[in-house]
This record gives sequence, structure tokens and C-alpha cells, in this order.
Amino acid sequence: MDIYKTAVIMLVEDDLGDQKLIRMSLREQRIANTPIAATSAEEAINYLMRNKTSEIAPMPDLILLDLNMPGMGGKEFLRRIKSDPDLKTIPVVILTTSDSDKDILESFKLQAAGYIKKPVNITDFQEVMRTLTDYWFTICRHINYEPDRQVSKCSDC
Amino acid sequence: MENDGKQVCVLLVEDDPGDQKLIKTALMDQGCEINLKIASSGEAAMDYLKMSTEDAVRYSRPSLILLDLNMPGMGGKAFLKKIKADEDLCSIPVVVVTTSDSETDIRECYASHAAGYIEKSAVPEEFGDVLKRLTRYWFSVSAVLKG
Repeated sequence: MDIYKTAVIMLVEDDLGDQKLIRMSLREQRIANTPIAATSAEEAINYLMRNKTSEIAPMPDLILLDLNMPGMGGKEFLRRIKSDPDLKTIPVVILTTSDSDKDILESFKLQAAGYIKKPVNITDFQEVMRTLTDYWFTICRHINYEPDRQVSKCSDC
Repeated sequence: MENDGKQVCVLLVEDDPGDQKLIKTALMDQGCEINLKIASSGEAAMDYLKMSTEDAVRYSRPSLILLDLNMPGMGGKAFLKKIKADEDLCSIPVVVVTTSDSETDIRECYASHAAGYIEKSAVPEEFGDVLKRLTRYWFSVSAVLKG
């Protein structure tokens, strides 16, 4: 029997190719739910603000955030999330092509919970996602997500 | 404070000598070069961190802090709030490693910008495996700031 984790991940990424790659990698890691995908920081913020007190729309257990997006960039999104009393408890991991020391420092100052440079090939990408999901959804406790809460099949497969 | 003279610096804030030893052994087994500093209290950890901002040559700035919650004096939550309110120190990720499974503690730690919350396992082998996964995330996958 295949066991899937019921974690909810939000993906804030404007590049559709990278979105697809991340989704595929997450599915490989047996994350049951299709990620909440936003192609801009504005779209992501609007979703989170609209639904933070909703009982029916899923809120993410983790946000994967690109830095370089048109309009509101990743750092401004991070600043807003981390200053909102209802949203600041959601861990945000940066997933970006930038390896600039300045970006790394600023992201951690804004309370990113990890900074990952996007690998260039699929194999490395999958390995990164394996380690990331292992850390966040096997060994870390969360407010709403419990590692022991699993399903026997992927509802979106 | 103990100093192993290796590359990436990790500050462990933990008052229990048994847990200190367990975590130290597990981290040293990981094969990555970790310079482990151990503080037995929140106060001692704050003192060390202040020295590391003033004299980075003698006192390595940690790339990661592993933090127990239940300590006498300044508890883990108070330490976390203090470090995250400090302009110089707030960029250091802090992972809580604790026996507490209280939902209140989990919520408060994430609200104070913890970068992970891990329950200590009573079984050494299991805990060693947990620490292996932690170091893999922080030192093989995530970038960290090096002092």
C-alpha cells in the first residue's frame, strides 16, 4: 500500500516549467495534495489573506517561494507574511536561482526557514525535494499538520 | 565553551548533560564538518552570541542554533524571542529540539520564527536518524550564513 502525506504546500513561482518540476517532485515524495500554486506573490498574498480565517479553504503547512518574480518580489512577500499575526507561523522556504550572499542574508533576516538554490537537473531537484519534505514533513512538528496523519492513496493522482 | 575547530558552526542551547552528549555524538557522526558550541543556558548562549558579533575571529558565529525549550532561568521561548528581536542575530535560523509536544509551544515557537520544531526521541538510534535528516537539510540542501 502506498502511503501519502497529507501536507499542504503552497508554491509561489512564476515560471510554469519550474512549477511543473516542483509538482512532479512533490508527487514523487508522496505528498497527497496538489500544491496551492500561485504564479505571483500578489496572487499568493490574496489567497492567504482571503482564507486565513476560512474553515474550508486549505492553508499551507509550508510555502516554497521564488525570489525573482515580476511585480511584488519574493522578499516583499516574505516581509508581509512574517509581519501578519495569522500568517507568520507558516514556514517559508526560499527556492531560487539566486546564490547571491545578499539575497541569502536578507532572506534569513526576513525569517525564511531555509534557502535552496534550484538545482539544474531533474535528479538533483528530486533529491532536494526528498530532503526538504523529509525535514518538514517527517521530522518537524507543525501547527496543523501531523506526520502520523497519512492517506493510503493520493486523492489527486 | 567547547570548540571542535571545524567548519560550519552550530550552537546547541541545552541544559541536560545527557541530551548534550546525545546530540553532540549524533552531530559528529554526520560526516559534515561541524564546529559545535554548547551552551547550558539561554543566558550563556546570549553571552556567546554577543561575543561572536564583537569578535568573529575568536568566537565563530553559528550558522544554526538548536534550542531546547525547557531550561531554568531564561527558557527557550524567551531566548528565541530575544534573538529574533536582535538586528544582528535575527538572521540565524533556530530549530527547536524539545521533549514538549504541546500545541501551544509549537504555535508560539513558529510565531517567534523558529525554523523547525523537533520532538526529541527517547530512543538514541531514532534521535540520531532525526539529527542526520536535520543536518542533511541545513548543510547539504539549504544555504546557511557562515560567520
